[in-house]
Amino acid sequence: MQIRVKCKCGEGKCPEWAVVELQGVVEAQPSFQDRLQNLEIGVLCRPSSQPVYTFKVGYHELTGSKVALKKPMLVLQKTKRTGTGDTDVGTDTNSSNVELQVIGIIRHRILFKTRPKPLISSKLTNPSCTLLCLIEGYAMKGQIARNLILF
Amino acid sequence: MLLSLELRIYSVGFPTILILILRIIIVREMEQPQSGNGGAEAVLNLEPSSSISIAYHSLFGPHDDLILLELDEKLLPDILQQRITLRGQPDEDAVLCTGSKTYSIKFVGNSNSVFLIPSSDQTEFCENSLDCKRKDDDQQGVASVIKVAPGNMELVEVAPRLDKLKLLLSENPYTFQEDLEMEDLEVVEKGNTGLYKWDDLVEKVQASDEELRSELQALSAVEIGGYWRIVDVKYMDTILRMLLHNSVINDWSLDALNEDEVVSMLESDGYPHKLAHHCLHVYGNKVDENLGRQVWKLDERRVCVHFAREILKEGKRKMESFMKEWMQKIPEGMQASFDMLEGEVLTERLGVETWIHAFSVSSLPSSPAERFSILFRERPKWAWKDLQPYIRDLSVPGLSSEGLLLKYTRRTQPTQDAEPVFSAR
Repeated sequence: MQIRVKCKCGEGKCPEWAVVELQGVVEAQPSFQDRLQNLEIGVLCRPSSQPVYTFKVGYHELTGSKVALKKPMLVLQKTKRTGTGDTDVGTDTNSSNVELQVIGIIRHRILFKTRPKPLISSKLTNPSCTLLCLIEGYAMKGQIARNLILF
Repeated sequence: MLLSLELRIYSVGFPTILILILRIIIVREMEQPQSGNGGAEAVLNLEPSSSISIAYHSLFGPHDDLILLELDEKLLPDILQQRITLRGQPDEDAVLCTGSKTYSIKFVGNSNSVFLIPSSDQTEFCENSLDCKRKDDDQQGVASVIKVAPGNMELVEVAPRLDKLKLLLSENPYTFQEDLEMEDLEVVEKGNTGLYKWDDLVEKVQASDEELRSELQALSAVEIGGYWRIVDVKYMDTILRMLLHNSVINDWSLDALNEDEVVSMLESDGYPHKLAHHCLHVYGNKVDENLGRQVWKLDERRVCVHFAREILKEGKRKMESFMKEWMQKIPEGMQASFDMLEGEVLTERLGVETWIHAFSVSSLPSSPAERFSILFRERPKWAWKDLQPYIRDLSVPGLSSEGLLLKYTRRTQPTQDAEPVFSAR
């Protein structure tokens, strides 16, 4: 069988998608876990004209940068062709009706590869999301270091 | 942000207070509402000293129908012009084909959190048009994440998987019998088992169109009645003999055969037009085209190899008797030389005698692992000059022929001047 990769972009103008990538996992507060839709993850900020970005998630802040991908990445959407009038005779599997549609292209990502920096405040409003570090202990070490500087 | 900085002011000494207050002002500026419509553009084109809220999309979910495919910039034109397809049967690993190349597809996982933010003009991701509109109006300064991508697909250029084509076409070769049947019954509703049209082959063979076409040519396949066929060897042999016979009778030169004459003569002998024409294609080359006359030259090597194969079809022969019979069979005006049989035959010495048997590179599989395993089953040790004709057609993107030898053979060289010998690893 054969799956066609369709593209309606025309002359090289695929809509560009963005990627925000960070090490670790973002976890919503238990009360939100079933309804993530429309929930805020965090605030992305570009403090200066440098291509440096910060991303504040819950009590943590990440620092990262905008990076061009070495190779572009296509966003493909799997679609089932809906039965048109002239149905093919002898189409053995329904999977032959599958098409891939190019719906976007990714050329850049905002990459956060540093350890998260905790924001120390008891007055921060209760965040909906928190950042879980994949590497255990990173957050703790960060906190300790910060406290040493402060006091 | 603001609150955390206040906290720091309390904890540090007096001289730094002024600096910190300045920073607070910048922070306040950053919290100005954003212009922009809140999709990927707002993230990618974020102005200095500004910020944007990143939130889960109203349609956030696993979205298994969204796939990320990393590919070379040079393949983008193929994508835009819709020349790319994925090919394979359910039990095969899918490959991606451009017009001329084949790539295997690998999934590469990513343990990072990869938040995918669609472009703002992506109407697919609106529950309804109202939703989209509301988004434009109210949700400025919010970029929405539709999916967390667990990884992406990557492409690796591979050799096309063409062995299957030979198998498919061998299911039902075109025979002399079929010609007779066609004559007997005007319209034969022959069961078309083992018959494949171009579109069927494309569905079944994991190769790009160009690679498929060139392999059809290499297999001397011909399109008859819409189906791609290989013609039974015995049948090709009779047509070729008839062609040579006609050239002798009519005093035609084998270097300058007039297509119209040859084809119409063969047709009058009872061979279909298509096959008469195919015979010229298989055993000759078009040399000239003038005044609408197509002129063909028979290829010495191909004709000679054909007769050598015919002789060795029955099994191995003593060298002398093979050579004698071969020379007799070669048409007048052609010169057979043993070099022509490179990659077609193997010789072995048994006592004082040399024996020869057919061992054709075209009958071997094209995957290097299978190829070498059959080669070493045939013969445990190979001299380079014998081995080379059987591996020179192997192509593995990214691996040179030296690399192939290193990977699949053990090379021994008893002395510095001795010819290297290759055995299985």
